[in-house]
Amino acid sequence: MKNLDNKLFKEYTVKIFSLLKSDEELSLSLVGESTDFTRFSNAQVRQVTHVKQSRVEFKFIKGSKILNFSLPYSGTLEFDCTKTQIQLTESRKYIEGISDDPYIVKPFFYGNSFNEKLTTLPVAEEMIGNIHMISNQVDLAGILVSGDIVRASCNSKGQSHWFKTRNYSLDYSLYNDRQKAVKSLYAGTIWNTDELKNNIDQSIIKLNLMNRDSRKIPRGSYRVYLAPSAVAQLIETLSWGGLSMGAHQKGQGSLKGLWEGREQFSPKFSLSEDFTLGLSPQFNDAGEIAPEALSLISEGKLKNFLISSRTANEYKLTTNYAAEQEALRSPVVLIGTLSQANILKELGTGLYISDLHYLNWSDRDSARITGMTRYACFWVENGEIVSPIEDLRFDESYYHLFGSSLIDLTDFSEIISSTDTYFQRNVGGLKTPGVLLSDFKFTL
Amino acid sequence: MNKLKNLLSSLNLGVEYIGLREVETRKISLDVRNEIFEEIHSSIDHGLMVEVLINGQFAYAATNSFHLVDVQACALRAKSLAENASKLSIYPFTLQERPVMVGEYKIPNQKGFDSFRTKDIHDLLIEVSTKLNVSNKIITRTANFELTEIKTIYVSSIGSEVHQTVLRSSLGMSAIAQDGPTIQKRSWGYDLNAQLGMERIDRDQLFREAARVGAEAEELLTAKDCPSDTMDLLLAPDQMYLQIHESIGHPLELDRILGDERNYAGWSFVKPIDFGKLKYGSSLMNVTFDPTIKNENASYLADDIGNKATREYLIEEGVLKRGLGSLESQKRLGVLGVASQRASDWNRAPIDRMANVNLEPGNSTLNEMISGIENGVYMFSNRSWSIDDYRNKFQFGCEYGKLIKNGKLTTTVKNPNYRGITTQFWNSLKMLGDKSTFEIGGLSHCGKGEPNQLIFVGHAGPVCLFSNIEVFGGGK
Repeated sequence: MKNLDNKLFKEYTVKIFSLLKSDEELSLSLVGESTDFTRFSNAQVRQVTHVKQSRVEFKFIKGSKILNFSLPYSGTLEFDCTKTQIQLTESRKYIEGISDDPYIVKPFFYGNSFNEKLTTLPVAEEMIGNIHMISNQVDLAGILVSGDIVRASCNSKGQSHWFKTRNYSLDYSLYNDRQKAVKSLYAGTIWNTDELKNNIDQSIIKLNLMNRDSRKIPRGSYRVYLAPSAVAQLIETLSWGGLSMGAHQKGQGSLKGLWEGREQFSPKFSLSEDFTLGLSPQFNDAGEIAPEALSLISEGKLKNFLISSRTANEYKLTTNYAAEQEALRSPVVLIGTLSQANILKELGTGLYISDLHYLNWSDRDSARITGMTRYACFWVENGEIVSPIEDLRFDESYYHLFGSSLIDLTDFSEIISSTDTYFQRNVGGLKTPGVLLSDFKFTL
Repeated sequence: MNKLKNLLSSLNLGVEYIGLREVETRKISLDVRNEIFEEIHSSIDHGLMVEVLINGQFAYAATNSFHLVDVQACALRAKSLAENASKLSIYPFTLQERPVMVGEYKIPNQKGFDSFRTKDIHDLLIEVSTKLNVSNKIITRTANFELTEIKTIYVSSIGSEVHQTVLRSSLGMSAIAQDGPTIQKRSWGYDLNAQLGMERIDRDQLFREAARVGAEAEELLTAKDCPSDTMDLLLAPDQMYLQIHESIGHPLELDRILGDERNYAGWSFVKPIDFGKLKYGSSLMNVTFDPTIKNENASYLADDIGNKATREYLIEEGVLKRGLGSLESQKRLGVLGVASQRASDWNRAPIDRMANVNLEPGNSTLNEMISGIENGVYMFSNRSWSIDDYRNKFQFGCEYGKLIKNGKLTTTVKNPNYRGITTQFWNSLKMLGDKSTFEIGGLSHCGKGEPNQLIFVGHAGPVCLFSNIEVFGGGK
């Protein structure tokens, strides 16, 4: 595919850099994909879409002024260069009207890298047939996504990074006659129908537990086990100002107490950014290479916030090459000692929660977050699952959840790949264990 | 004949139906923080979606290359996907779900990119940031402007040809105040996206709002937390937009009711049998789908499959009448819908969406509403939102609150929040503000769909009074 071809992209960038005047600099990043999306409902096909797209984000610099622009990229050299040249001319006009950026991050040579992992996948049509056959007797809703993804970054200082992968994900949920559901994800780079069948069979076993009558749980505090997929939601929400240095400096951070040492998490809780997971490129949009592993919270204490080069320039700090938004890209939560076999026993009486939904900060000053339980959540008594529950709303502080309430984390983790497809297919994911909490407050 | 029609006539696929939707978007945005120019971003996007129908199955393929060979390859991919999927179709669609529509939509005499001057906006935003700086406790001051033009052309093999050009802008500001561990924020304008161009800029209004936003952010630093209680709740339009969006708009989407969205955005508590019967809210409540309001954010002539958009009542005198859903969903579900099969961009297939969903004004003045409250709180400006996947249990937080005692506004409170359950909440609607309290807003980031889509919507509403609502404040 032309729009995802490394050689063609290189030719394009060489040509574009040659258009620059002596006082101009440019860095650019490519986001591209060729993807088949198939939506399922009732294990049948609702909608099917193929998308081939790429776009280039530019940072055009003249002196201490900077202008960002973006354009579609087709992989047809002459066409793309003509469009880019027009936009460069336009940008030269716009940039005259703006003032200097005192915190400008200029292009730099951070080295070159090339990472292309392309396995052989069956065509979407074959995958759809496999899914339909395996899930034939059960109501399945969800989306199958498969194809190639590219991320690249280069600049007029000679830097060049390329990351291309081919993968798939089946993000699905199964439903019983009572409209109760279980959720699962089958994702990877090698399609294996036996593994797919095993994944769906395991979900069907869980779904059978949902056939029991649901229990309405009164609001209040309960002992709770959060499965890795539920913890993942809490970790992802920390990307929304939780671990960003810039957000905290501007008064928009959510872990200010931790930053100032007024609060701390349990010594059992450690979180790092760890690119050895291999789910996302180590370089950011500017081509800066983040450390392979960076401790963020260690044994309950803040070690590092994510610091972009721009934040570092503004607040006179040292960058750790976070992306501009200072969001988590490859977070890993350290495991604990709770074994899979002992989860229900150690929970005793309380709630087993497999997923959380629609999280949002309810009071950032207190690191308080609200959200809902979703999918397979159960009332457990004396270590035995009794019944599914009706969904509950929670409103709790991270300082309590990962602090005084945290009893243990599981001794195993799950890798949860990103399934985000806003604008384009995302890369990345996280790795986290489950957590056992002494009390978790439900409000509705 | 336009280029797209030429392209359409060049495609010989042997399918029942082909639609081509070309979308070209031009956007520019500027951001200022603390009187320093922070970012200018300009973008152009241009692409094409091919839609085919074979054996009752629609399939789509998108490309941002307009070379005939690429478009042909794209169309063949759509054909292959449709042929294969038709063996497992959820429903056998027909050409009845694709009307023939010819027309054009564009608001005349708007000031677009030709009137845009970088330096003018740059200087204006810096001045707004300066006006927000009412005290040394305002640690962060932001001002932003965005101008977007979207040209969409839709042509089909059954004779549709729809040209729609929308010019949209937003202008927002915020102030963050800090005193020790207490941080409070006020903002204005981020929910006022509208089909307006450069003509929307009113310097006096901006400077007036900046002074108010800055002063209220500082005021909140010394305010007490909103009390935890069950009391009357008065909501300003800038909170009503999201209340309407989350607890009326989303639950009425037919694809949610059908279960298509179950794996991502969620289901709905609304059942097909509820249409025409369900007492959704108090009899004061009239909710319309209205794509005909000039300048409202999601007005249009036709949706993305060429279905002509008309004003319809979704809820009339509190009773549920009609859903938000396409001809496809209406056929599958057997209930009435609207022209709302919309795609976020050229690279996404159209699905059931909101457009302009408005709560019609009532007859009460603001003074009448306040004077009738013995114990209550008046909340402004959304800052937090969350609702379950059936759209029942919600919790919203606002930036600014005023307590009401014995018919009078009294103390300012910080961190005002409330929670409730959708139909209970709307049935507790006690008074509805008149036209003098009615305001039109617009949001730009409504997310749903697999693959995910963000789309712009419009909402309008008056000040509303709800009785016996659970309210509470911040803190651990």
